[in-house]
Amino acid sequence: MTEPLLEVSGLHKHYPLTQGIVFRKQVGAVRAVDGVDFTLGRGETLGIVGESGCGKSTVAKMLVNLERPTRGQIRYKGEDVTRLSGRALKAVRRNIQMVFQDPYTSLNPRMTVGDIIGEPYEIHPEVAPKGDRRRQVQDLLDVVGLNPEYINRYPHQFSGGQRQRIGIARGLALRPEVIVADEPVSALDVSVQAQVINLMDRLQSEFDLSYLFIAHDLSIVRHISDRVGVMYLGRIVEIGRDAEIYDHPTHPYTQALLSAVPLPDPQARERRERIILTGDVPSPTNIPSGCRFRTRCWKAQERCAQEVPALAVPAAFRLATGPAAHPSACHFAEEKQVVPPEERES
Amino acid sequence: MLLEVRDLHVEFRTRDGIARAVNGVSYGVDAGETLAVLGESGSGKSVTAQAIMGILDMPPGRITAGEIVFRGRDLLTLKEDERRKVRGAEMAMIFQDALSSLNPVLSVGDQLGEMFVVHRGLSRKDARARAVELMDRVRIPAARERVRDYPHQFSGGMRQRIMIAMAMALEPALIIADEPTTALDVTVQAQVMDLLAELQREYHMGLILITHDLGVVADVADRIAVMYAGRIVESAPVHDIYKAPAHPYTRGLLDSIPRLDQKGQELYAIKGLPPNLMDIPPGCAFNPRCPMAQDVCRTDVPPLYEVTDVPRAAGTDEPPADRTSACHFWRECLHD
Repeated sequence: MTEPLLEVSGLHKHYPLTQGIVFRKQVGAVRAVDGVDFTLGRGETLGIVGESGCGKSTVAKMLVNLERPTRGQIRYKGEDVTRLSGRALKAVRRNIQMVFQDPYTSLNPRMTVGDIIGEPYEIHPEVAPKGDRRRQVQDLLDVVGLNPEYINRYPHQFSGGQRQRIGIARGLALRPEVIVADEPVSALDVSVQAQVINLMDRLQSEFDLSYLFIAHDLSIVRHISDRVGVMYLGRIVEIGRDAEIYDHPTHPYTQALLSAVPLPDPQARERRERIILTGDVPSPTNIPSGCRFRTRCWKAQERCAQEVPALAVPAAFRLATGPAAHPSACHFAEEKQVVPPEERES
Repeated sequence: MLLEVRDLHVEFRTRDGIARAVNGVSYGVDAGETLAVLGESGSGKSVTAQAIMGILDMPPGRITAGEIVFRGRDLLTLKEDERRKVRGAEMAMIFQDALSSLNPVLSVGDQLGEMFVVHRGLSRKDARARAVELMDRVRIPAARERVRDYPHQFSGGMRQRIMIAMAMALEPALIIADEPTTALDVTVQAQVMDLLAELQREYHMGLILITHDLGVVADVADRIAVMYAGRIVESAPVHDIYKAPAHPYTRGLLDSIPRLDQKGQELYAIKGLPPNLMDIPPGCAFNPRCPMAQDVCRTDVPPLYEVTDVPRAAGTDEPPADRTSACHFWRECLHD
């Protein structure tokens, strides 16, 4: 791979918890994102999976500068975005755009589709000269598979899937290089989900886009991603190419997560082993010492409470070149196949 | 049959016209059996369930035809006070969103205990004791201390356990679970589904599981009924339907889901959108989206065909399964 487009290192976002009104003092912090590192190459899709509260959406918000990181760097083409302001920041933001989860609340109901998709041009007028904007918006509608004549309609006149297409068109308006998509299809029906995912696939090759694709649905992430990172309680616990994560997971959390996904195949019921985790995710205000997963892990030992496992290729696999040799933040990383191999021919 | 829905029709009167939400649904559940009702939003799966429970908003809703026979009685002919005795005691429902289904200003103990006070005439103290037992039963840790807590003090998975406890309280014969795990994370979803399946086995209850998730269905269901635009388009034992769907809509759904166990190329996508319920296409409601549609599909409403000559898996010599499909070309679809 060439130079990564986006390089994130040591990213933290802590929200302070305060007490008192006059003498406000900090009594703790919600450690929503607590040390995240990854890279994103040109034309690549990195999927981030994790359960609610793991910090995946906060990472997305920091990438598009809707949240300022507490600590850490986000390098875009080698330049640290978190230090930029004014004109330089504006230029970077043009190139990193976002598609939101909920197509019902992320579009202003009082604006027409044309105004919604064209609004980015008000902020970045250099992308499209004023007289040309309407045509540009119609082109975008066409690109995402909507009738260009719908330009004067309002969001409520569209179905959920169509609205998500509008959200995608808005994200594309400034011809960005990176699109951060936060759960872009989770609010849609199954038959419509496939349409939107195919659209995103097509747009990626058409516009040479890089995607950071955030979702809780592991099947969808596998379908669209080249590489996948698994997040737990503010950190990435395992990261690798899609086959490495799905077919050769070495972190116990990834294994539990994969084994819990219901497979659309009734025969898998008997064939697969289920790892059912006990308890709930700990609160991000009170993260366990050492390995943050240890309170729910069936392998946890003394060492896990004392030493924070680093996200690196585990020692056991360091000399190997197989698919198990990918970064996994576990002291006792072991390969385990949890997704039964496919039998059905289709 | 524990419950049998026969030719149910439900419509909603709205300002813009009549929305025909359920158009002749028939299905049945036996004791101890799990029937999954699969469908996308607007397919009528929840409205059918609400009609069975007797919690449909009327008006604007209206049941225009059909029977709901439960333990030999047609529920639709019962008076409201008789109906109320059935609801909760003999059949109960678990809703998707536990936070908005529980009363935020009553402790969970009070809400669980209310079942026993209202239906069984227990004192508040005895009811409280039963509430603790129930919370233990659904494996809520430290039930005795937590019985006084309010819904917002529980996590999503724990709240769903409380919903299950409430539904189980009077040991009903039938439970209807409407998307019980959709709002939960996968690891918690697995815990909750396991609990539900265990309780079902223990009490030999009938379970109607309403969902849009083909994965959940494959995991727990015995039979499956696929709904589209207010009708059942296909009904079959779960193994058969995944092996060889007999309706193009079912086939489309199965092909359009990304797989965990393989990285596909382009996903198959069913073209177009589900129909507007105020203006359901003539003939087969699925015809505008169907890759197999012919002229007859645009004019004739397909009846529910018996699906016979299903290819059986090698080594099984079970009798042909009880299958139906509402497609004129089910044979072609099955063997395609």
